[in-house]
Amino acid sequence: MPLLSVESQLPWLAELAGAPLPNRREEAWRFTDLAPLRDLEPTLLPVVDPLGGVPLPKGVSRLDPAEWAPLLDASLVATGSEAAWPVGLNRAADPQVLALRVTGEADPLELAWDAGSAKGLAALRVLLVLEPGSSLDVLQVVNSSGANCTSLITEVLLAENARLNLGVLALGHGMASLLAHVAVKQEPGSALSCTTATAGWGLVRLEPRVMQSAGSAQTRLRGLQMVDGQQLADTHSFMSFGGPAGELDQVHKVVANGSGRSVFNGAVKVPQAAQQTNASQLSRSLLLSDRARVDTKPELEIVADDVKCAHGATVSQLQANELFYLQSRGIGADQAAHLLLRGYCDEVLRELPAMASAWHPLARLLGDGA
Amino acid sequence: MIRSDAPVLLEINDLCARVEDQPILKGVNLTIRSGEIHAVMGRNGSGKSTLSKVLAGHPAYTVTAGSVLYRGENLLELAPEQRARTGLFLGFQYPVEIAGVNNLEFLRVATNARRTEQGLDELDTFAFEDLVRERLGVVQMDPAFLERGLNEGFSGGEKKRNEILQMALLEPLVAILDETDSGLDIDALRIVAGGVNQLAGPDNATLLVTHYQRLLDLITPDYVHVMAAGRILRTGGKDLALELERDGYDWVDQELARLGAEPAEVG
Amino acid sequence: MSTAATVGDLVSQPYKYGFVTDIQTEKIAKGLSEDVVRLISAKKEEPSFLLDFRLKAYQQWLKMEEPDWAALGHPKIDYQEIIYYAAPKQKDKKASLDEVDPKLLETFEKLGIPLSEQKRLSNVAVDAVFDSVSIATTYKEKLAEHGVIFCSISEAVKEHAVLVERYLGTVVPTSDNYFAALNSAVFSDGSFVFIPKGVECPMELSTYFRINSADTGQFERTLIVAEEGASVSYLEGCTAPMFDTNQLHAAVVELVTLDDASIKYSTVQNWYAGDENGVGGIYNFVTKRGQCRGARSKISWTQVETGSAITWKYPSCVLQGADSVGEFYSVALTNHRQQADTGTKMIHLGPRTRSTIVSKGISAGHSSNSYRGLVQMGTKAIGAKNYSQCDSMLIGDRAAANTYPYIRSQQPDASVEHEASTCRISADQLFYLQSRGIGFEEAVSMMVSGFCRDVFNQLPMEFAAEADKLLALKLEGSVG
Ligand SMILES: Nc1ncnc2c1ncn2[C@@H]1O[C@H](COP(=O)(O)OP(=O)(O)OP(=O)(O)O)[C@@H](O)[C@H]1O
Ligand SMILES: [Mg+2]
Repeated sequence: MPLLSVESQLPWLAELAGAPLPNRREEAWRFTDLAPLRDLEPTLLPVVDPLGGVPLPKGVSRLDPAEWAPLLDASLVATGSEAAWPVGLNRAADPQVLALRVTGEADPLELAWDAGSAKGLAALRVLLVLEPGSSLDVLQVVNSSGANCTSLITEVLLAENARLNLGVLALGHGMASLLAHVAVKQEPGSALSCTTATAGWGLVRLEPRVMQSAGSAQTRLRGLQMVDGQQLADTHSFMSFGGPAGELDQVHKVVANGSGRSVFNGAVKVPQAAQQTNASQLSRSLLLSDRARVDTKPELEIVADDVKCAHGATVSQLQANELFYLQSRGIGADQAAHLLLRGYCDEVLRELPAMASAWHPLARLLGDGA
Repeated sequence: MIRSDAPVLLEINDLCARVEDQPILKGVNLTIRSGEIHAVMGRNGSGKSTLSKVLAGHPAYTVTAGSVLYRGENLLELAPEQRARTGLFLGFQYPVEIAGVNNLEFLRVATNARRTEQGLDELDTFAFEDLVRERLGVVQMDPAFLERGLNEGFSGGEKKRNEILQMALLEPLVAILDETDSGLDIDALRIVAGGVNQLAGPDNATLLVTHYQRLLDLITPDYVHVMAAGRILRTGGKDLALELERDGYDWVDQELARLGAEPAEVG
Repeated sequence: MSTAATVGDLVSQPYKYGFVTDIQTEKIAKGLSEDVVRLISAKKEEPSFLLDFRLKAYQQWLKMEEPDWAALGHPKIDYQEIIYYAAPKQKDKKASLDEVDPKLLETFEKLGIPLSEQKRLSNVAVDAVFDSVSIATTYKEKLAEHGVIFCSISEAVKEHAVLVERYLGTVVPTSDNYFAALNSAVFSDGSFVFIPKGVECPMELSTYFRINSADTGQFERTLIVAEEGASVSYLEGCTAPMFDTNQLHAAVVELVTLDDASIKYSTVQNWYAGDENGVGGIYNFVTKRGQCRGARSKISWTQVETGSAITWKYPSCVLQGADSVGEFYSVALTNHRQQADTGTKMIHLGPRTRSTIVSKGISAGHSSNSYRGLVQMGTKAIGAKNYSQCDSMLIGDRAAANTYPYIRSQQPDASVEHEASTCRISADQLFYLQSRGIGFEEAVSMMVSGFCRDVFNQLPMEFAAEADKLLALKLEGSVG
């Protein structure tokens, strides 16, 4: 890599973000090198309508700027995300805000972005405001096939008893980067299910951050990240309980192949006010190549005695006894491995909102025609 | 065995109790003399387990009115462990699991606490092992269970047998067995019933909480009580249980309505 | 009756080892400089390789910064306010215990460590370290018959210089971290154990550390080497008087096992923890590391940590030899304002290496108890396995339990499994035990030691009961 390009490109993103790129000496970036961003063309890409011209579904309406302006940033503040570098970058790029209000039982919504093969930075920002008792299934599909970086912030305000099923399906390209930040503020009685699946990106940094402002809400997080080739995928999740009786059910899965690198950091904070919290976090990583690397770091901080908190982490190959069971039924080793891998991934993918099936995520992730 | 001149072991008068702000027991009256076997039946949620736990001194329940005399003394002012040491035993409907606490060691500490109260010598580990092995016979339990954590990973039926083993070791004066029959297989039911019969004698008394006649076929009660809405609604002999088996609890609602009380809360 | 409050009261037991021994002490002036390093070395009449070792470490230390990554809140330590060498005044070298100042013998006796011939613990050899020096080692002759060397490190430096030079600093290099560098520069005493090829050490070895002087740092250095096929079980114990200032304890322990050798290292740490407002207590910043150099060798760490104001300690295993085994069993109890940041590192380098981690943290009062661990599977760790279990018990709603288990794997044919849970003493469990006649206090203590059972089972027999008693002590008190 010519040194010159490094020097000429670096300042653009840093200057745009108003802050130098995160350094690997910072704990939150210890395993993640933003080197691929250095080659980024200093261009802001125009963003096409994520609705693809389709009218908004029933129960979903646009908020006008006067309505959304006071609501913007609220979930970022609640989840302590304001200072994060990817957030700063996105704000600095000043993307148009797609701000939507959800009332009652809304019909499913699909938002799709494809940076294509254009070079440069595409910044997107979505604000979802769910009114009390409303419910919505929303699928965000993010694609890219070129040397670009997609910066996506999704902010969600879940009012009392609102229910959101949020899916993020992000299929990229070896030259492409994705910086995705999801900040959710949940009021009591609300339920969030957030499922993310990423594959194919040269670099992904995914930051799901959830705050139950007064506890008594349900949060379900599912993540699948696949790396191959020289790819790097990093999920830094954060969950905090601002009051009692909150629930978290988190499963994060990794498939690491080729010379891929996978990073998972899962923070869960249960302060004194959060008695009767029930939180579980499971991180499962499949390491399929001896050139790949997996880093996993759960972080549990608990200051309340009447809580149930459990977490687990495993890193291994496919289970030998499961493989053997299939083989003993006459299935060849390769096919058995493939079947197990499918099952492993499908456990997360099938939790994406229903309309995700039209994108055939399993087939595309595993690169087979099935 | 009923003897009207037998000493009263337990005398419950107008007992009322609540959990948090919810009143559950609403005036229970019951007298138990030594040598007697009582059965308490009643719909789910009628307050049977609550009565049992109040008698054992569970801290979640607050007694709001009434009294309980145990051998003529105020039971309610005794700490739970003191009740146990003086011979009141509760076989729990849902025995808890305590991981890491060795079952054998637990049994020994409990037995010695009871023995000390009775003015007997504490048993050392060897003497105690002998005693346990003998008592294991009462419930026909595999000694392997002694080496495990207290109820840790025990099946439902195994936990119940462990409860009876504790009863066999502690030799209580009043044994309250809360649905000790549920979760037992057919052989185990016979074994447990045999154990209870073997331990029942003229100087102690048993209070069985049960839903099923099949236990009462094996352990013949002297009295059968029906609980409803936190009180004892009817008392009879062993035939009352057969009547319930045949007719169910429909009559309870009419009876309660007649008494002007609110209907039983179904849990 | 609120369970949390009452259980909380129970864990607030006064410290029983807080007395000070009134004995004349030879101290050097406060502060650290190259001259102080030279002075310590000269006082101990050390060979030149050791002085060079110390000076190199000192130079490295000067360039390092005190770490703050563990987020331990403590006021800045002034390294010029510490006395780096303090020794009870007594005649040079004790030919026999009869010549040891009776006050010292009495001190250890009061601590439950009788050193005199008649009262010795049978089958346990003890090295007693008072402030900066080792004052006595028992059963030395008997051990020598088996070729086992067990003596203070000062003595080893003189009498077994070749061995010390061969191994010292090879597991924890002088530049490893800030406190290890400091220790390497100023360490005063500690124990040395050498088990020759094929020898199974005939008795438990034990070192007992006692800090007596205020303002004195204790920087002991322990080195244990087990040659091919050798094995040893070693226990260290520690206490300190109550002062309202903080004292620094920065030890380094190095273990080496060659082919088929095994070392079992147990610690019962009960340094003074400060009062309930967090005044005083020991800062315990320790580097402990074992290297399984040989195939099929094994290093096992067991620790019961109940004292110190701040503990910063990660006994680790570098599993280099094929099929070598690392173990870490830990109980950490914190109360009041104590902070413990402890855990382990299992670095799997060789094929088919195996490690097990069992950590039990109990936090009460306003204390903070963190498990921080690293399990690393290197590229050559084919067929390696790790299993970790970290459980926390919380007593009261102001204590913190944190878990930071970090896993890195670069070997697909290695497996890592980590599980963690939190629990408290539930009211139902307490009631169950009470309803069988077991008193409140005993019920709590039964459950706490039940919670710790997996770890206590790993302690040498002689000390398992001791550890149980120590926790019970901390749990003892008046029931409301
Ligand atoms: N800790 C508690 N908190 C709230 N309600 C309680 C509690 N304990 C008991 N109750 C309520 O009190 C009522 C009586 O319960 P109890 O367990 O005594 O019933 P039971 O007669 O033993 O029923 P079953 O036959 O199902 O065992 C039920 O409605 C139950 O839900
Ligand atoms: Mg019941």
